[in-house]
Amino acid sequence: MKVGHRQTPYPYPSAEGYNKTPSTLEGVFYCTENCAGKPCKIAKVHTRPHKALFRLLRCLSDGRFHSGQALADEFGLSRSSIFNILAQAESMGLSIHAVRGRGYRMPEPVEWLDDTVVVRHMGTAASHYSIHVLDSVDSTNTALMVAALDGAADGTLFCAEHQYTGRGRRGRLWHSVVGGSLTFSVLWRFESGLQSLAGLSLVVGLAIARAVNRHSRHMARLKWPNDILVDYRKLAGILVEVQGDMHGAAFAVVGVGLNVRLNETQRDAVDQAVVDLAEMEVTVGRNQLLADCLLELHAASSVFRQHGFAALREDWQALDAYAGRAVALTLPDSRSVQGVACGVDETGAFLLRDAQSNLSPYSGGEISLRLDGAR
Amino acid sequence: MDLRKLKKLIDLVEASGIAELEITEGEEKVRIAKSIAGAPMMMAHAPQMMQTAAPVAALPVAAPVEDAVPEGHVVRSPMVGTFYRAPAPGSKNFAEVGQNVNAGDTLCIIEAMKLLNEIEADQGGVIKAILVENGQPVEYGEPLFVIA
Repeated sequence: MKVGHRQTPYPYPSAEGYNKTPSTLEGVFYCTENCAGKPCKIAKVHTRPHKALFRLLRCLSDGRFHSGQALADEFGLSRSSIFNILAQAESMGLSIHAVRGRGYRMPEPVEWLDDTVVVRHMGTAASHYSIHVLDSVDSTNTALMVAALDGAADGTLFCAEHQYTGRGRRGRLWHSVVGGSLTFSVLWRFESGLQSLAGLSLVVGLAIARAVNRHSRHMARLKWPNDILVDYRKLAGILVEVQGDMHGAAFAVVGVGLNVRLNETQRDAVDQAVVDLAEMEVTVGRNQLLADCLLELHAASSVFRQHGFAALREDWQALDAYAGRAVALTLPDSRSVQGVACGVDETGAFLLRDAQSNLSPYSGGEISLRLDGAR
Repeated sequence: MDLRKLKKLIDLVEASGIAELEITEGEEKVRIAKSIAGAPMMMAHAPQMMQTAAPVAALPVAAPVEDAVPEGHVVRSPMVGTFYRAPAPGSKNFAEVGQNVNAGDTLCIIEAMKLLNEIEADQGGVIKAILVENGQPVEYGEPLFVIA
């Protein structure tokens, strides 16, 4: 419920508008780690949200009322600026209470990402990562790709409260909610060339499902190659982008987006069945969840680096949501083949048994359940 | 024997020290020979015993491969996957034949199991040929583009 005097929606440019005219003056954010006041090269990101927005939100998420004047004094802004910034927050899907005579507050306090808290949850394993919390970014994958080409180290992690052009595969958008999603990207460097990375994408899915299953009574399972599903609804998506040589140095930017708490607008914007942690009654904080994801990712990627996907094949198949189900596989050239899903081979390719009982591996395409249940 | 396989064989001959390669597969026989100029030349032999008309019809297609693959710098696929010419279905292709590209320009995307690799031009020039169709599977080391 919204309370207060704001009656008309505040006009804001569309997400596309943000994308076309990145500001170089206002709204250049720096990560919060080790760079108070001084520019941190790899985390410089051009964004459009007001530069005080996230500081203001962090202040409001104590659940108490803050008067417009007190906020204006604290942030060195005018009261109308405070009003406008909070209108922007609402346009990003956050709910802010504005009550005449008392001020503003956030009715549903958000646990903001905090690198020191993540590091504390991770213990000694934190040394494998260099964690950068960004307030707002076009996409953590895009920003990390740029940083990687600029020489960022193995284990560099970007996580963001807000992505204004979050991306999925093949031009699809990834919708995320400020405070209601966990979106991050990790950089891994490899010396053995691009071809050795086949299967990496499945390994990431396995790790994220395991991290979720540490906290959930409803088992998170996998849809080939790497969607994370609960009851055949999508909880998390993964996008891996790679660059490098055939044989020599290569890197992978592994992007993960996980639904913590979606709002109705977000649900409507997504064209497939989705689920969030709130619905699953998983109440773990985002910092703890991120720490668990990073621990599982480190464990799984270490096995993968040493032994390849073959060593994780059994583990992956143990969480396969489609094993034994009648499925249709739509191939990249739009042809479709039907059969029964039979897990994956040692490279991570999807195994389909056709009507003649022939087992064939596929490394491309998209599977869907056949609802007629035909075999 | 399909075009893809022929292309691969030609590359093999081109890259190797051998001057001539002859392969017999069932009723089909193919000989690939390096010409003096250095470009590989290919001769297709008609099968000795013809039972159906189909192989005959297929052979003339294979013969003018020299025209189909122009000379120039070949950009190859660094991994096994699916070849995509555009960033998203329905959007503009990264590159077209005849287009001028600079080193570093994206030419295509290779995807394998949601692992995406944007292939960049490693040298500038004009795209002379695009050797794979959108949405088709590609092999490791398969030629994708010719730039000259």
